Amino acid sequence: MKLKYSLITRRTFLNTLFGGWFVAFFSGTFYALMKFAFPTLGKEPDFVVLNRKDFTNLANNSIKRFPWGGTVGFYFKKADGAILALKGVCTHMECNVDYKPAERRFYCPCHQGWFDENGKNISGPPPKPLEILVITEEGEKLIIAKKGVKVELPKA
Amino acid sequence: MNCPRLKDWLEERYDLEGMKRLAKGKLIPEHRYDLWYYTGGITLFLFILQFVTGMLLALYYVPHIDFAHKSIIEIVTKLNLGWFFRSLHHWGAQLSIVFLFIHLFGTLLMKSYRKPREFVWVTGFILLGISIFFGLSGYLLLWDERAFAAVRVATGGAGAFPVIGGFIKAFLRGSIDVTGDTLLRFYAFHVAILPIITLGLVGLHILLVQYHGMSVPLSLQGEKKREVPFFPNVFYQDLSIWLVVTGVLVTLAVLLPPEIGIKADPLAPPPENVKPEWYFLFLMETLKLFPGSILGMNGETIAIMLVAGAILFFFLIPFFDQKSARGEKSPLFTWIGVIYLLYFLIMTAVGYLS
Repeated sequence: MKLKYSLITRRTFLNTLFGGWFVAFFSGTFYALMKFAFPTLGKEPDFVVLNRKDFTNLANNSIKRFPWGGTVGFYFKKADGAILALKGVCTHMECNVDYKPAERRFYCPCHQGWFDENGKNISGPPPKPLEILVITEEGEKLIIAKKGVKVELPKA
Repeated sequence: MNCPRLKDWLEERYDLEGMKRLAKGKLIPEHRYDLWYYTGGITLFLFILQFVTGMLLALYYVPHIDFAHKSIIEIVTKLNLGWFFRSLHHWGAQLSIVFLFIHLFGTLLMKSYRKPREFVWVTGFILLGISIFFGLSGYLLLWDERAFAAVRVATGGAGAFPVIGGFIKAFLRGSIDVTGDTLLRFYAFHVAILPIITLGLVGLHILLVQYHGMSVPLSLQGEKKREVPFFPNVFYQDLSIWLVVTGVLVTLAVLLPPEIGIKADPLAPPPENVKPEWYFLFLMETLKLFPGSILGMNGETIAIMLVAGAILFFFLIPFFDQKSARGEKSPLFTWIGVIYLLYFLIMTAVGYLS
């Protein structure tokens, strides 16, 4: 069937064409700019390898810090001598927490959050316990890993 | 100054007389609240000072994780008048924020945002947001332990937004944690991206104010109109007030130089009772009010959503306040404004004193 009149005017056709061209060009440009501006993110490490010697003479009821990606991990010897590794970052707003030996608790100075010596959140705003990491020893190496991660060391 | 030949030369090319007439025609209403008109001018003046002192500091600052902290110490200890310009930049920023808030609440309580000036409010509000981001990004450039903790909290807080939080956080940090990438990014924001946006918005803001003329408070609209010319009366008053502000600023800068904390260490805990800049205290106190989880939901996310909602409502007040748009008194929005102001003041005081 042939219509006797046109459904769109020549002006509408051209406006749509130019408008579409305009939108397509600038959204493409914007996309490319944003793609560049957004970083290619690294990820949190699955495990870190430390020197076992550095951690053997730790006194009871104290911590030793180690770098965990861009943040901090704690190698923690409880008052009763049990060993624990935790991520030393508050689950509330990501401040580093500190260990208070007198109270036997972890403390976040940013918003006054407290965790007990097992990392459980006990008072203040933190919504979750501190993340517990898994310790394995291999000869002179001390490997601290996220829970449930299979550690594969590169062959030396 | 009288150079007839230069004047003629310009006159042949530009309509100087026309410009003069335009300047002479600019009138400012005179009434018992007209002191509030100066708060915008003071902010503009402080912004200009920030641009100048910032350009000076940029000549020596090194935006690198290993050298940033040291370069600031060198600016204040080794360079001619370095201590003074750094202190001036710091106090200029503080006063800018103070006057922005005074300007904001003055505008709010006198309902100067009402029709037809909604876009003046919108541009001003965005400028306030940018200024606060200026403050946060400028503060991180110090790379001391307090700044490090503050930026971790602020960017982490943005990350608590549902859906888009992760994107915002990644965009701000440039990495999964606050690292040297974040420092470089905040430097780019502070010295390139934000200044350009600020210039554009300040230009638009002032242009819109010229277009609409000064707003007269609703309560005074029945009274007889008195007006004074901007040139030279109000202009000279502006200049004298700017001189007083300069005096206050220089006094603060000389007597109370800002501290430089210990260099940021990603392994160390933040210092005891760490506090952000004073204009973030009300946010910090608000976050402290919320427990870790509310009815099984993340308390932090709820807190951030509520704060964002309150700020969004504040931003859209000119579009909600229909009564003042029609030129009627609008006591409901006066009360809302007073509540916002009191909340801000009380929470800031609580944060400061605790």
